Amino acid sequence: MIRTIATATCILAAGTMAQAQDVRITTFKSESTFSLNGITFTVTRDQNTNAVLQGEFTRTSRACPPHCLQPISLGSGVETFGELEVMSYLETSVSDGIGLLVDARSPQEFAISAIPGSVNVPFITLAAENRFRPDILRALGAVDVAGGAMDFSGAMDLAVYSGGVWSNDAPMAIQNLIEAGYPAEKIHYYRGGMQAWTHVGLSTISSANPG
Amino acid sequence: MIRTVVVLFAFAVVLCGLIVFGPFGDDEDVANQDRLGTPLEADVEVTRAAVTPETDIAAIAQAAVSVTEAAAAPQQAVVEAPQRVDVARPNTDNTRLSDMTNNVLAELGFAGVEHVTTNSEVQRESTSQILAGIEAATGQSSILQESETLEAIVIAALRAGESDEAIDQIVNNAAAAGSVAVPEILVTSDGRVDTHVLLNNIVTQAQIAAGGAAPAVPELSPEDVQGLEVRVVQQATTDVQARFYTVQSGDSLGAISIKFFGSTEHFNAIFEANRGLLSSPDRIRIGQRLVIPELDNV
Repeated sequence: MIRTIATATCILAAGTMAQAQDVRITTFKSESTFSLNGITFTVTRDQNTNAVLQGEFTRTSRACPPHCLQPISLGSGVETFGELEVMSYLETSVSDGIGLLVDARSPQEFAISAIPGSVNVPFITLAAENRFRPDILRALGAVDVAGGAMDFSGAMDLAVYSGGVWSNDAPMAIQNLIEAGYPAEKIHYYRGGMQAWTHVGLSTISSANPG
Repeated sequence: MIRTVVVLFAFAVVLCGLIVFGPFGDDEDVANQDRLGTPLEADVEVTRAAVTPETDIAAIAQAAVSVTEAAAAPQQAVVEAPQRVDVARPNTDNTRLSDMTNNVLAELGFAGVEHVTTNSEVQRESTSQILAGIEAATGQSSILQESETLEAIVIAALRAGESDEAIDQIVNNAAAAGSVAVPEILVTSDGRVDTHVLLNNIVTQAQIAAGGAAPAVPELSPEDVQGLEVRVVQQATTDVQARFYTVQSGDSLGAISIKFFGSTEHFNAIFEANRGLLSSPDRIRIGQRLVIPELDNV
């Protein structure tokens, strides 16, 4: 036990000295690096230990409805992610080109700040009312089959997030996807969303869609 | 302790059921209360009590429906019986007929008519941005379907000098094939596209654009209009006429609006007055009895 603590302390000390990094993601992980279609992204945490949240995500209270608290599990077989799972998903599925991290918020919100490597697909565009929804589903890898249905067996894995635990954008997007026939086991839900991501000082990007 | 609470709760549920529905006589009430002394029996009773009211509600609802139907039957015997089977309907989008007509006129070179952005175009634009984002991430190119628009079909037909019947044929074939979405108020009770209203609206908007007057609200009497029913409702100071209209075969909400108000622009007043019957403007069925509202400022 003591030996373990000592080892851990040594590693921590070594890490601190080597990289002068005080705020790591986990003890053994200081950054998350992944690539999306040839572009490399690196996620780290803000090294300023005095940093506090600024702007939109300092707000505690948004009107409910529509901004109502969401459950940990959306049910119907959709797995829920925390921050570490999102990073590991980015390093594996997204880097391998078999998964996408989807931001279900509006394009305006997405442009201000988003998780590196994410793609903006506002939940409203996945609603049945959008006549062009099949085009989006095809872009995600669904294939038309006879009778107007779609085959999702080759479709990409999706991890969907929105503003935070108070936002139903991501749950709506997931509900719309499932209604369209997207298999629930291909969908993941990052419940914490932008608020939880920024709350622990993880890197964000501010731009239009990457690329 | 928990068991006692459960029993008390069960008792409350049963009692509520009895008060609301009163299905049992006094004697049975007593019997129930006696049996509540033993928890097992109480559970059984709860299950039964819980089932009974539901069945009662269903039965009452059913009875209510059959009563309504029975009451409605004599009136509708004049026209066709209401069709319970829903007909296949064309795809709709939330593009407004007035926007669509406006763009047809602009495309045909009408002076003073500018192209407006329809809801459908907004959707298409935002979808193309999203596809660009997904493309950048996956590296795979995606295609935004070039779907036909009703405007394009109508413009082409008008330019070709097609007759009204031919335009009706062309538009309905495209709608039946699902390749085009139409404004909701053009959908008829038979699930067709009301091209009469479509063309009528083009003429009306063209006249208004050319400085003509908006069409007048027609005077209607029940003798002239099949399905129209006028009732006089007495109020304190004045008698008010309430008008009802039974949907006929081939009617669209746009057509009904033209029939009563001279133009399609008042369809929303009719729709709002009949929200209980119509879930959306295209869900209009033969035999539905619609309230025709009075327009305040017409």
